[in-house]
Amino acid sequence: MALGLNRHLLASGLPKELITACTTTTYQYPRHFSVLNRPLPNYEGHVPLTRLEKTGLAIGSAVYSLYNPYRADLIAALGEATATPYFIYRLRDAMLSDPTGRRILRDRPRISSKTLSMEHLRSLPENSVGRTYVGWLDREGVSPDTRDSVKYIDDEECAYVMQRYRECHDLYHALTGLPIFREGEIALKAFEFANTLLPMTGMSLASVITLKPTERKRFFQIYLPWAMDNGVKSKEVINIYWEEQLGRNVESLRVELGIDKPVDMRDIRKKDRARRKAEKEAKERSGDSLGIN
Amino acid sequence: MKSPNLRPRNLGEYVCSNCTRQLRRQRRTYATTTLASPSNLDIYDIVCVGGGPAGLSLLAALRSNPLTSRLRIALIESQSLSPTRTFSLPSTQFSNRCSSLTPSSVRFLKDIGAWQHVQRERVQPYSEMRVWDGVSGTSIDFAVPEQEMGVGGVVAYMNENLNLTQGLLRRVEELGGVEVIEGETVENIRLGSDTTNGDFSSWPVLRTNSGRELAARLLVGADGGNSPVRAFAGIESRGWDYERFGVVATLKMEGEGWGGNARKIAYQRFLPTGPVACLPMPGNHCTLVWSTTPELAQKLKSLSPTDFVALVNAAFRLGVTDLKYLHTLESGQEEEVSWREQHTPFSAEQVPQKVVGVQEGSVAMFPLKFRHADTYIGQRVALIGDAAHTTHPLAGQGLNQGQGDVEALANTVSYSVEHGMDIGVRMNLESYESERYAKNHLLMGVVDKLHKLYATENPGVVGIRSLGLRAVNRLDGVKGFFMRQASGTGEKLL
Amino acid sequence: MAPPIAPIRPTSLRNLNLLLRTAPRFVQNQFRNHNTSTSSTSSVNPTEVSHFNALASTWWDPHGSSRLLHLMNPLRHDFIRGCHASQPEPVAKEGLHYLDIGCGGGIFAESAARLGSTGSVTAIDPSPEILAVAKSHARQDPALASRLRYLNTSIEGLPKPASLGGQYDILSLFEVIEHITHPAEFLDQCTPFVRPGGWLIMSTIARTWTSWITTKLVAEDIVGIVPRGTHDWEKYINEDELKGHFSKKSGWNSPRVVGVVYVPGLGWKEVDGSEKVGNYFFGIRRDE
Repeated sequence: MALGLNRHLLASGLPKELITACTTTTYQYPRHFSVLNRPLPNYEGHVPLTRLEKTGLAIGSAVYSLYNPYRADLIAALGEATATPYFIYRLRDAMLSDPTGRRILRDRPRISSKTLSMEHLRSLPENSVGRTYVGWLDREGVSPDTRDSVKYIDDEECAYVMQRYRECHDLYHALTGLPIFREGEIALKAFEFANTLLPMTGMSLASVITLKPTERKRFFQIYLPWAMDNGVKSKEVINIYWEEQLGRNVESLRVELGIDKPVDMRDIRKKDRARRKAEKEAKERSGDSLGIN
Repeated sequence: MKSPNLRPRNLGEYVCSNCTRQLRRQRRTYATTTLASPSNLDIYDIVCVGGGPAGLSLLAALRSNPLTSRLRIALIESQSLSPTRTFSLPSTQFSNRCSSLTPSSVRFLKDIGAWQHVQRERVQPYSEMRVWDGVSGTSIDFAVPEQEMGVGGVVAYMNENLNLTQGLLRRVEELGGVEVIEGETVENIRLGSDTTNGDFSSWPVLRTNSGRELAARLLVGADGGNSPVRAFAGIESRGWDYERFGVVATLKMEGEGWGGNARKIAYQRFLPTGPVACLPMPGNHCTLVWSTTPELAQKLKSLSPTDFVALVNAAFRLGVTDLKYLHTLESGQEEEVSWREQHTPFSAEQVPQKVVGVQEGSVAMFPLKFRHADTYIGQRVALIGDAAHTTHPLAGQGLNQGQGDVEALANTVSYSVEHGMDIGVRMNLESYESERYAKNHLLMGVVDKLHKLYATENPGVVGIRSLGLRAVNRLDGVKGFFMRQASGTGEKLL
Repeated sequence: MAPPIAPIRPTSLRNLNLLLRTAPRFVQNQFRNHNTSTSSTSSVNPTEVSHFNALASTWWDPHGSSRLLHLMNPLRHDFIRGCHASQPEPVAKEGLHYLDIGCGGGIFAESAARLGSTGSVTAIDPSPEILAVAKSHARQDPALASRLRYLNTSIEGLPKPASLGGQYDILSLFEVIEHITHPAEFLDQCTPFVRPGGWLIMSTIARTWTSWITTKLVAEDIVGIVPRGTHDWEKYINEDELKGHFSKKSGWNSPRVVGVVYVPGLGWKEVDGSEKVGNYFFGIRRDE
């Protein structure tokens, strides 16, 4: 009887409430499994992990990616391992609350070289979302296909949400105008954290310690306050149907989402470099005049 | 021999302070009305205002008890009772106003001989109740153990209110001896006067719109939430509105239920907007009670049948976020729900079977309130049922509380008659109040707190309430205690 | 309404003195005394009458000093039913005639008159004020008029029944005997009013330390729920004294005694053995 089934359920999933407490899932599968008894995947490419394995994955990937920040696969794994219990559901619910977000979930568009014609993007007007995006890709020498597939998130819909977030990351660069080098990347991660609340984006901020002192100072004085302010007040960027916005002017999209354009990082760095160069030259000049050399 | 100092105006010091207070109050309210002349005054032992389940049960209880069957009784019901008398629907249709009757209420209805007049094939007992938290998914099951299935192993009986009132009315008419005044409203109630036939100054005198005057030794208010009897007695009723409406409908399901006809299951899911319940009726039918905000209730009522059905299915299956979104749509819920069901994990057998249709014209809504009268009794006045208390329907206890009131009042009156006491005197009604008031108050308090506990999505509250529910579900003893309390067969708490 | 005398403060010397004066001493059995007493024309004690006159206004106040009597009243009927049930032959289903002596405000008389088995109730009391209250109150229930008759008289003033038809099925003396100075003579006066096979029913309080504490000290002085002077502990009669009295007289059989105790919050309860301690009902049947 139902009572019996219920007992079985309770015996199997111990702190299940803690997992489900903040989600909108009505019912959890009885997932009584171990390393020896792995259930069938919930979607193609899914690797079901036990809670212990997930914890291990989270700690391991966090440590290694800090050593080697270029291991995108580890950062991706960290993102997935830390997205549950709460965060990926929250992001999914944010999409479900929004008509466009729902449309994305229903259509499940993927961003790849197959779905996006690079030629078409390059033909779009200057300052359009698509043109800016393809600009990033060309400059960095990457393609949309370099993104890993999600495998450790159990819920297939949430797995898609994670995939979508990952595939859209480069478009956020285009949206905010933040560059791809480390300083811009960290500023964007801070914005993403405030906007999506995904823990991985927050953890990435740890790499702020790897910045140069002037960059770090800039981050705390300019970009972190901007990221927090705009990330929280703007609409959820996960709900942008990018495929429909490619021809759109970046500036008008920003206005619609309620995002202020951050101080141009390339500009500020150029000025800074120029200032330092000027200082150095001045110093050299003063050295010359003193006849030290 | 009449002592000269006993004219009414000098009586003050001989009448208890309670009565003189009431006298003064009534004089103030009705100073301009002329007092009843004794000639056309009909004198009754009991005048019951309101021919709903509570009022009719009281009459059946009094008439079926040999001790109280000699009382002269009148019933005043403002509506015609014909629809109740002639209530008859095909076996595939059900009235949308249904109530759950606890085994204790059914036992009482059997005692007073009314149960056999109820159309039993339209009554649906159920032996399991599944309640879960719409935010966290934590659930609790109340199931009657297999070994108790034979001996009245029923959590409760679902029944149409009209079926019950019809059975009660048939019983009252079978017993006879009740002056039924239907389709007449009570125009005013005031205290009588000192006449040559007797001193009626403590007796309520009712005047109907046809000019009839009835003096009541005991005036029973079974006249609902806005009880005129309660207003006459100057009894305050306190409480609040929940800012919620109950949406009811008769649903057609895809089958008889997961447990088949032999083991029907009631379902209730707590959503942040209020609980939604799917309660089994005979065959492939269920009755819906969905408590929700006034706007959402209005929206539900305005939907097309297919979208309404889709939203009801969603209410037991989809996440809170999806439900919120679905309420914002003007139409197209059906398509949206069928997409979301593919991506929302739930176990089909843990929720009600699919709703496939809604009975035409059965969607209705009514406001939910919490009200409790300060007292149930006054001099020659007693309140029963909704006139005394109105509660949130989430525990399905409203009608049962009324039946409990009726049983207690009938016992009190019977005891008074057996011992020659004046059945209307407040002191002789005290045992009715003491038996019911605290009990009702406790139950209403618990129901109110449950509503408030589940009307939030605050993660901390959700976590704690889920742990609590899980603990109760595990402790068979505690669960059994709650079950027996809910079914009215439990240990006496008060 | 407040009792005529306010409850005392236990610290007051005057009140201590009052308490000591009324404290229990050895009191002789009232019935042994009665031979030495001079025969009087009335069983009624004038000071008692004036005391109850003063009480009249609060008689029907449900929260007044008579509340305990109101609460006790149903048990009187239960006791009478018990007496009737103990008879070898069943009692008549209707037409029973009651004589209620010392009816006061009519608590018992009214209730007896409402019973379906009652033919008539004659209720007498020597206090005119109280009887006025009783009559006025009875008018509030028009059903009583045809069955209930109040007479302002003592038992001596009531004409002795000439025939069986004038006698009563139940003669009741509720909370009366403890206010009578010469109870034995009074009971003898009552006898001719009880028809053969009828019952004499009474309730009173045993003369014990417990009853002194509960009725005098607690009820009258400390809590003040009963006006001071309501009770005269020395006149209290024990159930064995009553039984002794009737066993010496011929013509009575089947005495029954039930003790009752007031439990706050629960009301009056029948408690076996409590007749030795406090309030009790006594019933005795007149030989056929």
